[in-house]
Amino acid sequence: MLDFFTIFSKGGLVLWCFQGVRGPAATAPVNALIRSVLLQERGGNNSFTHEALTLKYKLDNQFELVFVVGFQKILTLTYVDKLIDDVHKEFRDKYRNEFQQKGALGLLNGTFDFKDDFLRLLRDAEESSKARAPTVMKTFEQSQKSQKTVKCMIETRGEKPKEKVKNKKNKGSKKEGTEAVAAVSKASTGDKQPPAAGDREELTKDEILQKNREEFFKRHMKAGEKSRSPKPEAQKEKGKKPRVWDLGNSNAKVLDYSNSATNGSAEACPVEEFDADVALGDRNREPGRLYDLEYESDDEAEEKVIQNPSKPSAKKGGLGGMFGMLKGLVGSKSLTREDMDPILEKMKDHLIAKNVAAEIAVQLCESVAKKLEGKVMGTFTTVTSTVKQALQEALVQILQPQRRVDVLRDVMDAQRHRRPYVVTFCGVNGVGKSTNLAKISFWLIENGFSVLIAACDTFRAGAVEQLRTHTRRLNALHPPESHGGRTMVQLYEKGYGKDAAGIAMEAISYARNQGFDVVLVDTAGRMQDNAPLMTALAKLIAVNAPDLVLFVGEALVGNEAVDQLVKFNKALADHSMAQTPRLIDGIVLTKFDTIDDKVGAAISMTYITSKPIVFVGTGQTYCDLRSLNAKAVVAALMKA
Amino acid sequence: GMAGVAEPQLAALRPGMPGPALLSVLVALLAVAVTFLLWRLVQARRSRRNAVLLLGLCDAGKTLLFARLLSGRYRQTQTSITDSSAVYRVSKDKSANVTLIDLPGHESLRLQFLERFKAAARAIVFVVDSVAFQREVKDVAEFLYQVLVDSTVLKNAPALLIACNKQDVTMAKSAKLIQQQLEKELNTLRVTRSAAPTSLDASATGGPAQLGRKGKDFDFSQLPMKVEFVECSARGSKGEEGDADFEGLEKWLAKIA
Repeated sequence: MLDFFTIFSKGGLVLWCFQGVRGPAATAPVNALIRSVLLQERGGNNSFTHEALTLKYKLDNQFELVFVVGFQKILTLTYVDKLIDDVHKEFRDKYRNEFQQKGALGLLNGTFDFKDDFLRLLRDAEESSKARAPTVMKTFEQSQKSQKTVKCMIETRGEKPKEKVKNKKNKGSKKEGTEAVAAVSKASTGDKQPPAAGDREELTKDEILQKNREEFFKRHMKAGEKSRSPKPEAQKEKGKKPRVWDLGNSNAKVLDYSNSATNGSAEACPVEEFDADVALGDRNREPGRLYDLEYESDDEAEEKVIQNPSKPSAKKGGLGGMFGMLKGLVGSKSLTREDMDPILEKMKDHLIAKNVAAEIAVQLCESVAKKLEGKVMGTFTTVTSTVKQALQEALVQILQPQRRVDVLRDVMDAQRHRRPYVVTFCGVNGVGKSTNLAKISFWLIENGFSVLIAACDTFRAGAVEQLRTHTRRLNALHPPESHGGRTMVQLYEKGYGKDAAGIAMEAISYARNQGFDVVLVDTAGRMQDNAPLMTALAKLIAVNAPDLVLFVGEALVGNEAVDQLVKFNKALADHSMAQTPRLIDGIVLTKFDTIDDKVGAAISMTYITSKPIVFVGTGQTYCDLRSLNAKAVVAALMKA
Repeated sequence: GMAGVAEPQLAALRPGMPGPALLSVLVALLAVAVTFLLWRLVQARRSRRNAVLLLGLCDAGKTLLFARLLSGRYRQTQTSITDSSAVYRVSKDKSANVTLIDLPGHESLRLQFLERFKAAARAIVFVVDSVAFQREVKDVAEFLYQVLVDSTVLKNAPALLIACNKQDVTMAKSAKLIQQQLEKELNTLRVTRSAAPTSLDASATGGPAQLGRKGKDFDFSQLPMKVEFVECSARGSKGEEGDADFEGLEKWLAKIA
């Protein structure tokens, strides 16, 4: 029944493997399990589905082993959990020496002949699930059926069978039953009453048939009057009047306030005065460089990340009582759930206080608990320090990008293939899409790439003007003369009210013809619950196939982040026609300067999507664009 | 005469000589100083770099190489989520041995483990999947770049071997081609990565270290450490029953031990 059962060390060596009769190789599903669950800290519940298989696993943190069993998804095997526990205990006891004494060499050189034991355990587990004491059948006298009379169990068409109480002489209850039936029965009109329950019991079969025939004829004669249903219906006007929308009558041209001559040419509008220093912000910086987030990182916190937990730690901070300290000194203590629970509770509250979404904090703490259960602590380490260390490692692990984050490199690639690199910005209202789009285009221009901004926000008043202002400023900061006569940034817009996906497509082909390196597509902000707008966004992304889809989220958001990201991803997945739908590729975290050290939103967003944070926005000027520094963010999170 | 002069001086000295309390304090200080020196010596010997790190992307074959080097047998492997280390005897007669450390290659773990073990590294073996190299060249180059610009690695300059694994497959690229492609890719990465921030506080360190020489195309010979390329196959041409083909790797390990 099982497809496979593997036992492997956390270092990657398969110690023993049992292959079921027709199961495929175990490597690929187990690798998927490792990458999706263990490495992404989703180890809260111990089962995982991969294609047609369900995988259940158990970690042994003392000897660093993983036990995985795989079986078909459609089967529900009840003995699997018990089997894993039994196998775990037996394997560990049998090969305890290899693990303890010889370390990695023991794992490599040892032969783990476990097949017979495993088959025995499997047989025991299967039998225990089948062998339940056969339930003694109730005798007829004991059942409820004997209490009812035969006649009440006859069902007539259109009536639902009534549940009878044992006491059949209670007419009051029967009357209630009647009324209930009358309410339920669909064809009840005013005058048609089902016969009183008291009568029903005395009806014979023939009488029932007669009654049914009468009802049948009655129903047919009433066909014409049926339309007069008791429900009062408002009298609508004869014929339907077309609905009039407020703005629908007027021509689109009336709404178009844009100057038709400005497409592609920056000189048509008068150049307004603006102070370059104000726009640029920090003058003393290297052009083109994207600085990193600055944090006063606690030195101690950084050391904790590097330090090997088994080495005796000199900092015995937070002694969990004298007794705990003595126990830790005396022998090697293995961590139990009870030890960790109070500390994990505190850490969970601490994370939530730092603006991590509540459900994510819970899942994270569960996963850390699973990873630490049974682990042997070294001497001079307390439970608190071990848990904190593990949590810190887990957080750093989450923030590490799972794919390359190098926009410039990809732009260079696209440049070589002579096609523009398309980036789409999406997000809810008011998070800073247009502002950060301007910052990113400034950064790209400083690195020598020409940018076309596509104004696909055709809804919000002033969106196009905002982008036009940014374009003018950027061109003033980087005039064409300093870049060999090439305008570095242009705006492609078609005014308001038009279809965003169409504008994006035209912008991309315009960029390809004119030789722009990057196209930045600005979309309108939309709430994740707004189904038509989400469909429109999904259509824009599916049709135009951008190279990078960036979700812009503000750092102030709390539990909302989970909902936003889940719904955006779902909308993108649902409306795409492709086999592998385009989902969110990266996150831009904005308004980072408004939060002090409550940086939990970064964790929530990366945990939900497993996609990296590509940019961090820290202000309103063009230079306030940073890249994420995982260690600094985690240090800020763990700071008391 | 002279003795007469000396005697009163000696007599004057005697009460000024360090009393027993002061003497014991001096002895204690001396003992502490000696212990301190001994402790530093012991620590220096313990932290003598004796580790060879196996780095590389996921599925490059590090754990299998590790198993083959240490036990000679073929083992099935899964994605590693933690490091494994063992002592490797370079050859039967010499007593030299190194500690082989196999680090996980997964993106979320690799930098953490590198941080932990980079100080102890005497040499680094960077394992490359020669079959998937064409597809993964950017990721390989990025990881290699991150290893090379690390401040500890630049300071210690451990010997670097780039092992082009999986040569038993016919589509595997040769070491020469891999070297050329990596040099080209690292050349581009120098520019893009210095334009984007590095992973530490930029303001403190003043930006990422420069790789190679400015103005000239990047070349592995410009690095402060010795870099070699070698072809190997952990699985071996005879499959799971036979031995692995990695003589070049073994010779190199013998050299650096």
